[in-house]
Amino acid sequence: MKKLWNNIFLGLSLALIAVWMAVFVYPEKELHLIACDVGQGDAILATYGTTQILIDGGATNKVVECLGTNMPFWDRKIEVVLLTHPQLDHYGGLSEVFRRYQVEQFVATSLNSSSQSYQALISMVGGSGTGVINPTTGMVIRSGLLYLDIVWPSGDFQANEGDNLKGNILGAFTSKRDPNDFSVVANLRLGEFDALFTGDIGPEIINKVIATGKIHDVEYIKIPHHGSKNGLIKELLDEASPEVAIISVGKNSFGHPHQETLDLLKEYDIQVKRTDKDGDVELISDGKNWWIKK
Amino acid sequence: MRYLFRFFLVLLIFVRIITTQPNFSDGDKIRITTKVASEPIKYDTSQRLVFYGLKTYLPNYPEINYGDKVVVEGVVEDGKLVSPILVSLEPSVGKLYKTRLNIIKIYQKSLPEPHASLLAGLTLGSKAGLPTSFWNALKKSGTAHVVVASGMNVTLVASFLMGVLIVLMPRRSAIPLALIGVWLYSLLSGFDAPIVRAAIMGSIVFTAQALGRLQAASKALFFSAAIMLIARPDWISDLGFILSFVATGSLMLFERKIASLIRFVPGIFREGLSTSLAAQIGVAPILYLTFGQFSLLSPIVNALVLWTVAPMTIIGGIGGILGLFSDIIGKYVIFLAYPLTSWFVWVVGIFG
Repeated sequence: MKKLWNNIFLGLSLALIAVWMAVFVYPEKELHLIACDVGQGDAILATYGTTQILIDGGATNKVVECLGTNMPFWDRKIEVVLLTHPQLDHYGGLSEVFRRYQVEQFVATSLNSSSQSYQALISMVGGSGTGVINPTTGMVIRSGLLYLDIVWPSGDFQANEGDNLKGNILGAFTSKRDPNDFSVVANLRLGEFDALFTGDIGPEIINKVIATGKIHDVEYIKIPHHGSKNGLIKELLDEASPEVAIISVGKNSFGHPHQETLDLLKEYDIQVKRTDKDGDVELISDGKNWWIKK
Repeated sequence: MRYLFRFFLVLLIFVRIITTQPNFSDGDKIRITTKVASEPIKYDTSQRLVFYGLKTYLPNYPEINYGDKVVVEGVVEDGKLVSPILVSLEPSVGKLYKTRLNIIKIYQKSLPEPHASLLAGLTLGSKAGLPTSFWNALKKSGTAHVVVASGMNVTLVASFLMGVLIVLMPRRSAIPLALIGVWLYSLLSGFDAPIVRAAIMGSIVFTAQALGRLQAASKALFFSAAIMLIARPDWISDLGFILSFVATGSLMLFERKIASLIRFVPGIFREGLSTSLAAQIGVAPILYLTFGQFSLLSPIVNALVLWTVAPMTIIGGIGGILGLFSDIIGKYVIFLAYPLTSWFVWVVGIFG
């Protein structure tokens, strides 16, 4: 009998500690923008209070560690997951995310990839009760106080490449074009703070993206295509005039980030943070001011 | 009579080991049809399975689970099956296998990483989904044994079941029920060598108790080794099998002496320190020979964390089972383990 009481006492103490821990990690009302160090690949988490937006999931399940350290332990819901384009270094970790978290909205084009792992992700999203949104230029996705303005791909571009735009399904069409060209470009904003996410777009597409007229002055840019010279061009910097640039990159055989890209950023005097050198890069903003967390 | 029996046992083991030697050699192209006998280890882009002692690396998708039926083709080379092709995969329909997967899912839905994997490892010996960096930290700090299937789990299940059953019924009926529970658990947890070892040993000890006969634990240890090698001769080269026996043997030989030597250590840490020191005496040389490393700090780390293992496993077990019926109840029970998993993760993070 005494043992039983001991166990009950132990259980209650644990409950009390857990409650205190839960209160202690309750997030403040600020935007945290974390470029997760997931090796070669993209995974960027934006949080505001208990609202989360995850942009890409890296190649491996490393992203769930980043979610684990940057979300309160009791919050098991991610409001928006945006997949820029179906290549492994962007979606690879997402099936582990869907396995572990309830995702409200999944934003991705209906461009298909024949790889088995992407098909597994599609069926996982289908079985999870997550709403699917196929983004096109001009769309605004709101979650709490965070807004995602979709800049690319445009409806015309997708229709030209064979997407019938019947809407909100995954893996509906294939294209001979490089999947990078379909990368979702989005502007995340809170108050006066703007961050531009560029997936893996390259020079040709960047000009088309600029032509949409939706690129404007931002504070933060995720450099396209892991810093490849086949990514960033100066026109984009002219248009967006960012103050800080994040390069999501890890060990790779392509030579990313290329020296040309780094030189260009230096020329424009933009502060550069790299996930391969700096680990997780966290920026905090209250909607007016912003600073990089040391 | 007794010697004749022992001689016969040893002979049988030899015969089994020799006759079941795989009859393929390097360069052979082979096709294996089998049931996946233990949980595949998941890496970033591949999953590792072992078929008839051959390490086989297959792509991450389609996902293969413990209990699935597979047909694999490949070329034998140096203990590996190279350029393997998954010809067919038939997911297991067994209730137990599904229950196992469902319980792991409940942990993953309830807690962030690495806490969820820690619970899955503690309760079911599952390493699927364990973040690589955490796994490396566990190995480095000498605490990896906690998240792999080990005899400790079986002991916990057995003593938990006995503790509950003994209140409800006389000892004579409680023992067989507890044994059924232990064997169900060993199937649920992946039927790895260390679990089976503990289940057999436990069965021997319990049965001897029920029959009113005193049995030396060392005899039970050797006898269960014999039974296992007759049933699965390929386990002779299984690291888990070897470590499990060596660690148990060391515990039996040294634990009590060490415990009395370190009486100055505070209560909750003492048992963890004495058991890990005792086990290390036998295990450290093997680990050093196989991995070329072992941690001198390991007994200290173990002393700091081992006291959390029993409550975490029990809370995880109860939470997982309740979670099968109600997500929310399961989740709140599992939250109770969070302070303990946090301590564990924090300590391992410092030393790993």
